[in-house]
Amino acid sequence: MSMTLTLAVLLPFLGAAGVAWGSRLGRPTAILLALLVVLMPAILILSLLDPLVAGETHLEHFAWLPAAGLNIAFRLDGLGLLFAGLILGIGALVILYARYYLAAEDNLGRLYAYLLLFMGAMLGVVLSENLIQMLMFWELTSLSSFLLIGYWRQREDARTGARMALAVTGAGGLALLGGILLLGRMTGSYDLSIVLASGDLIRAHPLYVPTLLLILLGIFTKSAQFPFHFWLPHAMAAPTPVSSYLHSATMVKAGVFLLARLFPALAGTWEWNHLVAGFGMLTLITGAVIALFQHDLKGLLAYSTISHLGLITVLFGIGTPLAAVAGIFHIINHATFKAGLFMAAGIIDHETGTRDMRRINGLWRAMPYTGTLAMVAASAMAGVPLFNGFLSKEMFFGEAVGVANAMALGWLLPVAATLAGAFAVAYSLRFVHDVFFNGEPVDLPRHPHEPPRWMRVPVEILVVICLLVGMLPALTVEPILHLAVSAVLQGPPPVHDLAIWHGFSPAVLMSILAMSGGVIIYSVRKPIYGWWDTQGGRVDFRRAYERLLQGLLTLAGRVTLWLDQGSMPRLLRLFVAVALILGLAGWWGSGSPLTGPLTLLPLDAVSLSTGLALVLAAIATLVWHRQRFTALILVGAVGLMVALVFAKFSAPDLALTQLSVEVVTVILLLLALFFLPQTTPEDPPSPRRWGDAVLAVLAGLGMSILTWAILTRPYESIAGFFLERSVPGGGGRNVVNVILVDFRGFDTLGEITVLALAGLAIFALLDKLRLSGQRVAGPATAWHWDRHPLIVASLVRLLLPLALLVAVFILMRGHNLPGGGFIAGLITAIALIMLYLANGVAWTHARLPDKTHPVIGAGLLLATLTGLASLLFGHPFLTSTFGHVHWPLVGEFEVASAMLFDLGVWLVVVGSTLLILIHLGLMSDASRDGLAPGTPVRGSGAGRSAGDSPPGPGC
Amino acid sequence: MTFDYAHLLPIVPEIAVLVLASILLLVDLWLKDEDKGTNHLIAVFGLLVVIGLTGVVGGGEREIVLSGSYIRDPMSDVLKIAVLVVSLLSFVYSRDYLRDRGLWVGEFYVLTLCAVLGMMVMISANSFLTLYLGLELLALSLYALVAFERDNPSGAEAAMKYFVLGALGSGLLLYGLSMLYGASGSLELGAVARAVAWQGADNQVLVFGLVFVVIGIGFKFGAVPFHMWVPDTYQGAPNPVVLFLGSAPKIAAFALAFRLLVDGLGQLHADWQGMLVILSVISLAVGNIVAIAQTNIKRMLAYSTISHVGFIFLGLLAGTTEGFAAAMFYAIVYALMAAGGFGLLVMMSRQGHEVERLEDLKGLNERDSWQAAMMALVMFSMAGVPPTVGFMAKLLVLDAVISIGLWWLALIAVFFSVIGAFYYLRVVKIIYFDKPEVIEPLVVGSGARVALSVTGLAILLLGLFPAALLTYCQAAFA
Repeated sequence: MSMTLTLAVLLPFLGAAGVAWGSRLGRPTAILLALLVVLMPAILILSLLDPLVAGETHLEHFAWLPAAGLNIAFRLDGLGLLFAGLILGIGALVILYARYYLAAEDNLGRLYAYLLLFMGAMLGVVLSENLIQMLMFWELTSLSSFLLIGYWRQREDARTGARMALAVTGAGGLALLGGILLLGRMTGSYDLSIVLASGDLIRAHPLYVPTLLLILLGIFTKSAQFPFHFWLPHAMAAPTPVSSYLHSATMVKAGVFLLARLFPALAGTWEWNHLVAGFGMLTLITGAVIALFQHDLKGLLAYSTISHLGLITVLFGIGTPLAAVAGIFHIINHATFKAGLFMAAGIIDHETGTRDMRRINGLWRAMPYTGTLAMVAASAMAGVPLFNGFLSKEMFFGEAVGVANAMALGWLLPVAATLAGAFAVAYSLRFVHDVFFNGEPVDLPRHPHEPPRWMRVPVEILVVICLLVGMLPALTVEPILHLAVSAVLQGPPPVHDLAIWHGFSPAVLMSILAMSGGVIIYSVRKPIYGWWDTQGGRVDFRRAYERLLQGLLTLAGRVTLWLDQGSMPRLLRLFVAVALILGLAGWWGSGSPLTGPLTLLPLDAVSLSTGLALVLAAIATLVWHRQRFTALILVGAVGLMVALVFAKFSAPDLALTQLSVEVVTVILLLLALFFLPQTTPEDPPSPRRWGDAVLAVLAGLGMSILTWAILTRPYESIAGFFLERSVPGGGGRNVVNVILVDFRGFDTLGEITVLALAGLAIFALLDKLRLSGQRVAGPATAWHWDRHPLIVASLVRLLLPLALLVAVFILMRGHNLPGGGFIAGLITAIALIMLYLANGVAWTHARLPDKTHPVIGAGLLLATLTGLASLLFGHPFLTSTFGHVHWPLVGEFEVASAMLFDLGVWLVVVGSTLLILIHLGLMSDASRDGLAPGTPVRGSGAGRSAGDSPPGPGC
Repeated sequence: MTFDYAHLLPIVPEIAVLVLASILLLVDLWLKDEDKGTNHLIAVFGLLVVIGLTGVVGGGEREIVLSGSYIRDPMSDVLKIAVLVVSLLSFVYSRDYLRDRGLWVGEFYVLTLCAVLGMMVMISANSFLTLYLGLELLALSLYALVAFERDNPSGAEAAMKYFVLGALGSGLLLYGLSMLYGASGSLELGAVARAVAWQGADNQVLVFGLVFVVIGIGFKFGAVPFHMWVPDTYQGAPNPVVLFLGSAPKIAAFALAFRLLVDGLGQLHADWQGMLVILSVISLAVGNIVAIAQTNIKRMLAYSTISHVGFIFLGLLAGTTEGFAAAMFYAIVYALMAAGGFGLLVMMSRQGHEVERLEDLKGLNERDSWQAAMMALVMFSMAGVPPTVGFMAKLLVLDAVISIGLWWLALIAVFFSVIGAFYYLRVVKIIYFDKPEVIEPLVVGSGARVALSVTGLAILLLGLFPAALLTYCQAAFA
């Protein structure tokens, strides 16, 4: 497979790196390397010339993203060849020229590297077969031109210009991406060969107009068409070689290149004609008029470039084959004379130190040779006969006249063309007359003289081309024009005649009008300058661009202020509101009913009163939430009601668990609340709070509705499975307990481990932490003087054995009847905590072992060993077994290995709960009041040892 | 029911991460302050081993193990490796920062590894329960990490906000999951999908469940209007944490979204597509527009994240294999870019000076031109400029969206990308054109330097040869 083109495109990229490195060896090396890098692709491309002349398009494909239908593909046809020639040819001249232009302190290697980078990107654009790949190179040209415009980083205008160019062309590139994606969707391929052949399909597609608009947006921004033309004059902050390369010959031509490239696919519709020709015409006039009033040499050339790009755009917009020929022809001509003019302007700038045409006058005496070259190029720009610009301009005038007859409002075009022609003559005159004649120079920074020999050579070459093409078009430019036009039209080019004189026609008349008009305008320029300097600045699209940016910034600021305040309640409000809206939308969206098919149970008194109590308790909590103790007790009531509900629906097991958990939780919260203020401070009432209330009520309603929707629907329960297997598989009739200790024993083992860890972690956190707590219960209410009332203490001591007995009972029966290790553990813990509450820490510690760590450890160990034991018998971990034992008094009693496991659970629950609660209580000084000073308390630090704590009698 | 130890084989990488975290926790106990570098070494080499293990265990047909709650498929292999690589990068970036600030403690590594484990569990989850477990492991580790610099009040505030909102988000997700369970009678994604296919959108509870699941996903991704935690958290958290938080979890969030919406609720595509369209459009709009107004680069990148999430959603909502592959590609690539971007911020932050204002980047080019070039590359990639991988990612997503006929959505995305390009380019301008306020050259450890170079080059090379990654992404959904 041929890789010639691929290599040709890649070489400049590699060369850029090479030159950046090689420039350390001095300027001569850098320039030689750079020229070599330009020469190699040229040779590679020329090697493909023969088949091209025979009418074949050279294609190269490589797999890239086959899955996404993307290939790396290059193509060489006439249009690509023409542009590649321009890019490489003018590129070589610019490299030569830059060597002499750049001051000694500037880094030449960096400039060359950027230039070669740009050259590679440009070659990629014109030689790509794949449109996506072309777009990538397209954006690379924007990037590398950003680097080139900003070459003089220290200058403010260079930075602004670079950024503006990148913003405009980069944004256009993204629009182009949109267009290309749509194009690919229509034709099913991103390959140019297919896209170009599907013109009819594309034009008839409903998405044609958006596609066209997006692609034109990309083209117009790149080619500096009105109203996006403002970036180009600001890009003139670049070094002049860069301007002459990018902003006359190549990059801005990428836009019109694409116009030509997609001509067969997109052209020929009403929209195309009006949009392309219309915007082209506006650009043509605007550029030409403004150019005259620029006092900056490069500014004049920049606006003239805009105008000429407009001209080319108009030609493609007209859409006839002959217009396309003229368009291509003018691309060549403009590139040559404008590059020459820029270089001449660069020489003048270089020699005089300024570009202000009000100061540089009468240079003819100092530099007649440069003056001659500039005059030739300027004549070509003005469209003077015998120079190349004349030929394409004549063709343009001829086409414009053709449009006048073909379209409504078509007469506008010839008028505009003539007017623009007149202004072109005027500004060309200004370029020559102001600079080289027109009196004496004013206060020049440097004394001008002719530039070095090799700095003039590139200009000479370009000027010679201008002349040769202008005089002998058929011999010089016809072959390449023929090839390029056949590629643009995807067919044989129309009959055209590149002669200088076609006989008398409207076009000649327009030329004469433009010439004389130009001279007249130039002769009356002085008063117009004055008018422009006061009025003309009003029409500045840069300001529009800046206002747009400013507007965007303001908008962003406003949105930020509105959305991004960092206020937590606001965030929560937004979150809940959005969730509510989305939930509502989901409800609205689906047509299914809210209530499911389940039949409702009849309402009985117990359910009703429990439900009412639940609601009342909840509301009361809300009302008294500022009095925290009250609110806590009320929350406890809610929990108790829930326990009742469980009992009502025949889940005594859950009810028991809920009950004991509720008690432990309330105690825990009470202990914590002791250290906090007893009341919540009151918020000042505000409309926002009412809003919050409404939101809360709505969210609550939403939740209720959802609950209703779910509860009225049938669901498949897994209960059946466990009910069936509980007795045969686990040897217990209490299904919940069997699940806990047998079916899901592993889970439970994990859970008690977590519980143990939590207990230890809380112990570690609270250890040594001392808080004073609240000395008063509320406003002016002291705590009761008697912390441990005798009656309570005595009753609790009586109660303890009973409670422990209940716990053991619950543990033992757990496997078959409601109960189990977890509940038993909680009951035990509650009983012991009561002991602490009623008698105080000092009393209790004198009688109880104050370490619960061993209990926790024993529990975990027991549970784990039970599990491991089954391994001994060759069963998997935690396999349970059970048997029956006949006890003398009790009778038949079932013993399951799971019960041992349950014992472990019980131990861990007791140990952890006690550990947590005791140490929460011990945080407070108040709990220590009963302890003698210096009495070691569990975990109080250095003096801790087993011997220090009084041995407890146990229970 | 007996337990087959072969079922543990696919989760060897997860077990390895857990072991790694435990080893670090223990080793850290005996390390003296000046030896804390050992933690870093263990973590980095451990992660390398885990990456290797993932590669060894991975590949081949999908396996569902542990009673249907765990899945290993081509997608999980790719995503896990991506998560591990990005986490590894973030360790390397953060080394010097942690050392200079006295934050070089084992907890950082342990918490981060727990988060990594959470992400891996999320990626491989095949049931609601496993998914939620992974999600919470990740979230809890992240809450703690955000408040890692304990004496920093803004970090504490950020953690608080993140935690409260995160709890709400998780709660809603869990609520949605429980409704889906109620409606479908199963926790396992495959069974849920079958039940949903049978019932369709007729079941009100399913639709409600879906709504809450989408809210939860939106929250975890940080899509507008559930994005509120993102800027505050990014701004308040220490830079290394932002680096981690802003990169790898996006990959896991993709897995979360894919497992839930596609694996579980694929039949309701029409319903969630509409929701994702709204979320992605407003994410793109708000993310890109608000980012412009930010002067704090962390906040700016936070809003940029939000806009990128919009793109990931675009790929997801397409509902085609092409779209999923594009979204997956985007998520991985975004994580890489974010790692690079935040990585540089971490590297630039010196003792006592946290880099977070845009001005802090001024003239970076004069201080260290290589790092500046890498940062510029990251910015260009985020802006979607070719030939960086960011462009490819956007291209694939847009292509997928256009291919299902939503071309207007693609145009909206392009439009906001244009706006987005503005603030990324501003960063480039600041790096290259502005005068530095500090002139001393950047002191950067060799590890971080290598990491940033690797990130930058990956961004460039993947842009030129996207097939290297895209092939895997597409194979995941083949």
